[in-house]
Amino acid sequence: MNNTSEKSDYLLLFRGADWHKDLSPDEIQKTMTTWMAWFNRLVAEGRCKGGQSLAPDSKVVSGKMKNVVDGPYAEAKESVAGYFILTVSSIEEAAEIARECPTLGYGTTVEVRPLLARCAASEVAARQMATADA
Amino acid sequence: MSATPAKSEYLMIFRGLDWHRGLAAEEIQKIMVDWMAWSDRLVAEGRSKGRRSLSGGGKIISGKDREVSDGPFAETKEAVAGYFLLEVSGLDEAVEIARECPTVPYGASVEVRPMPANCLASQLAAAPLDRIAEMLAGRAAGSPATSAEPAKL
Repeated sequence: MNNTSEKSDYLLLFRGADWHKDLSPDEIQKTMTTWMAWFNRLVAEGRCKGGQSLAPDSKVVSGKMKNVVDGPYAEAKESVAGYFILTVSSIEEAAEIARECPTLGYGTTVEVRPLLARCAASEVAARQMATADA
Repeated sequence: MSATPAKSEYLMIFRGLDWHRGLAAEEIQKIMVDWMAWSDRLVAEGRSKGRRSLSGGGKIISGKDREVSDGPFAETKEAVAGYFLLEVSGLDEAVEIARECPTVPYGASVEVRPMPANCLASQLAAAPLDRIAEMLAGRAAGSPATSAEPAKL
């Protein structure tokens, strides 16, 4: 057993742009104050490396013709509103942090995703180089 | 008029975990080599500041009871597969980059999202109460939040 367990990066995606719909300005501000205290604590504990909110005006590119349409990608309830990058010991620890999200009770969904240490594209590309060398 | 226009940050979110379905291994590798050349060029040009890919698994937490279930959130075609963090002169330039994405013709989608200089939560936490509704209305109408203090990666 190791006391200093290996840490990995996880992405928390906050989904839902309309959690504030039925709240008063006072409740919204209180929730956001709680949110900032939560974020700042995670940063101070060294468990969160950064985070950002995303503006809703956006574009989506898809299809053989590379069509461009107005975003965001999903409906308001599901669209990504922001993210944190966590450095923690396990996906369970990341999920425990996600369960502390102050807007969960108001309709936000948090998605926890492991971040790969090395990007998948470069792995596949490197394997081709190795094949070519062989 | 300034010779060096201000740059803004955009998150480019890649969606779709099954773009490679139906392709031969050789085609998949060729596309990934193109992908890495594209990605490395954007980094060398100073237009991409970060890039990560996500593993296919994950957890989802939702509801008042904070229930945990297995992820990812969306169906395979729509699930988030990775992202680039772009620093470019505007949304148009970000979209032009998104249109170069090598997996788009195979079914991937790219979502381009502006990243406000200051996060919305910190703005709402500090704003006068009578401005809260207006700030959120502006957000719904599609205007990016603008403020001084950076609170980013």
